Amino acid sequence: MTADRARIIRLGVAFALLIAAVYVFGWYIPQFYEQGTTYLWAEALYIGVAAMGLNLLTGYNGQVSIGHGAFFGLGMYTTAILMQSHDWSFTETLPVVAALSFGVGVLVGFPALRVKGLYLALVTLGLAVLFPQLTNRFVPHDLCKTCGTSQVGELRRVKLLPPSWTPTFIKHPDQWAYYATLTIAVIGIVALFLIVRSRFGRALIAVRDHEAAAETVGINVARVKVIAFATSALYAGVAGSCFVLVKRLATASSVSVFQLSIEFLVAVVIGGTATVVGPLVGGIIVVFSGRWISESFPSTILFWHINDSVKNLLSPAIFGIGLILLMYVLPDGIVGGGRRIVNSRLRSLRRGKTSPAST
Amino acid sequence: MALLSVENVRVEFGGIVALADLSFTIDAGQICALIGPNGAGKTTLFNCVSRLYEPTSGRIDFDGHNLLRLPAHRIARLGISRTFQNLALFPALTVVENVLVGGYTHGRVNAKRRAEAHAILERLSLDDMANRPAVGLPYGTLKRVEIARALAARPRLLLLDEPAAGLTHSEVDELGELIRAVRDEFDLSVLLVEHHMAMVMSISEKVVVLDFGSKIAEGTPADVRDDPRVVEAYLGTTVS
Ligand SMILES: Nc1ncnc2c1ncn2[C@@H]1O[C@H](COP(=O)(O)OP(=O)(O)O)[C@@H](O)[C@H]1O
Ligand SMILES: [Mg+2]
Repeated sequence: MTADRARIIRLGVAFALLIAAVYVFGWYIPQFYEQGTTYLWAEALYIGVAAMGLNLLTGYNGQVSIGHGAFFGLGMYTTAILMQSHDWSFTETLPVVAALSFGVGVLVGFPALRVKGLYLALVTLGLAVLFPQLTNRFVPHDLCKTCGTSQVGELRRVKLLPPSWTPTFIKHPDQWAYYATLTIAVIGIVALFLIVRSRFGRALIAVRDHEAAAETVGINVARVKVIAFATSALYAGVAGSCFVLVKRLATASSVSVFQLSIEFLVAVVIGGTATVVGPLVGGIIVVFSGRWISESFPSTILFWHINDSVKNLLSPAIFGIGLILLMYVLPDGIVGGGRRIVNSRLRSLRRGKTSPAST
Repeated sequence: MALLSVENVRVEFGGIVALADLSFTIDAGQICALIGPNGAGKTTLFNCVSRLYEPTSGRIDFDGHNLLRLPAHRIARLGISRTFQNLALFPALTVVENVLVGGYTHGRVNAKRRAEAHAILERLSLDDMANRPAVGLPYGTLKRVEIARALAARPRLLLLDEPAAGLTHSEVDELGELIRAVRDEFDLSVLLVEHHMAMVMSISEKVVVLDFGSKIAEGTPADVRDDPRVVEAYLGTTVS
């Protein structure tokens, strides 16, 4: 009886949270925030999407990558070039990006089978370093009249307007960028939810937990690992497509690709490895933490006047300290740790209730 | 005809000969014990049958299939399941999920597969922990979960690597009965590696004795028990 009631309460809470999330993300943010903030939320969402994919690889399958910024860049450039010089619409580029990044993910995933752990991390780091070299060399220069090195120049404004088929409440480019990214994030999260609960999802975890045992129950470990790699590359690539709508350009330097790769990993860890919604929460925190931290700075501490350059210097340091503290308090991330705490509370509550009744 | 036949299997690690041209067979429905001192090569043989180790020479056949031609993940589909000497469960998965993964080769999980998994858990008295994560359960329980996972593949040959190690006396007695009962109910053969001699002698129909990678004796429990070389290999350990 009480087990049933706990279940109903949990379902009710989940449903209420879902309604609130639909309202806040589906209406409030894009309709009531100014353009800059809406773009920032869209950025949080696409970082979250890339992190979801990385979580499938790292959290569920145990393969660490610090090079997924390269797949993100692949999606970004593919979408930007198709839109800029081939006059495609954003949505038309998505299937191409998905197929291309999945395919490249397979190609990279095969050699990645030979290495594990730290070595795999280093190999993927190589990807992040290599990618900007490739764009520098191979992205045609006429795409890049106004810009420095490996950029696809700013997209023409007309490309960024919402397409005619979108509902009328999507009026401005920032709203279109936001809703497009949100839709992708929702599809991504539902797909992830279905994947991790499927036979393939259990195989992912089995391979992570014990490779030899996974092999002896009949799991083709190599295939599972390659598919995990390619699927995570697909998520990163499509997230990169969203970047184009949000930032209105395509750009890659070895610093930015590496930084993105690390941001995805940080989002996974903050949100909670091997949780479905964790990476999205992590993405929001990664993107907004800088703003939240500098906004919550007082303008003076004792006699020290804090100007913007000091803030810019201090906020990454504070973010770093916050990250260390979080890992100390909630090593399994916000969603993972939160779920663990709620579950143990519910269990002790239930035990407290049933024991007098059963005696 | 033999269900499993091991022919001149040789495994070397650097200079160490872990298996020196070992040959033996198991018949369908048989419980065959593989015994020998630590380091004799018992686990190495399991790993060859599972295709986790590559023998330098020799041949292993199972029901007309040459196992050494197949990759490790194809072995389960032929009907061979195993447990590991040191537990090899998937700790993040629940007990029933471990069992479902055990039946991986039978495809998509539906209501029938779930019912089968629960039936196996019930048979091994594990049904009340079906939804607990494997991590954190007592050692003896986990040993049974691993057997349940192996049974979920509906194997024809079950390889058990020291299933009694670390169990209490009463658990060991129950395990002996369980292995026999499972053999009859699930209609399978068992290859058992075990140091617990009382259990080995009471449940096996055939015993193969290894020492330093070579077979030093083979036969019924009674034959093997009195073999002077076996007694010597166990260095005075009373085989009773
Ligand atoms: N992966 C390995 N690498 C090197 N040596 C190994 C490996 N596996 C087993 N051996 C060696 O092979 C011999 C047999 O080991 P094993 O099969 O585990 O024995 P048993 O299971 O009978 O106790 C031992 O000398 C062991 O050290
Ligand atoms: Mg052993």
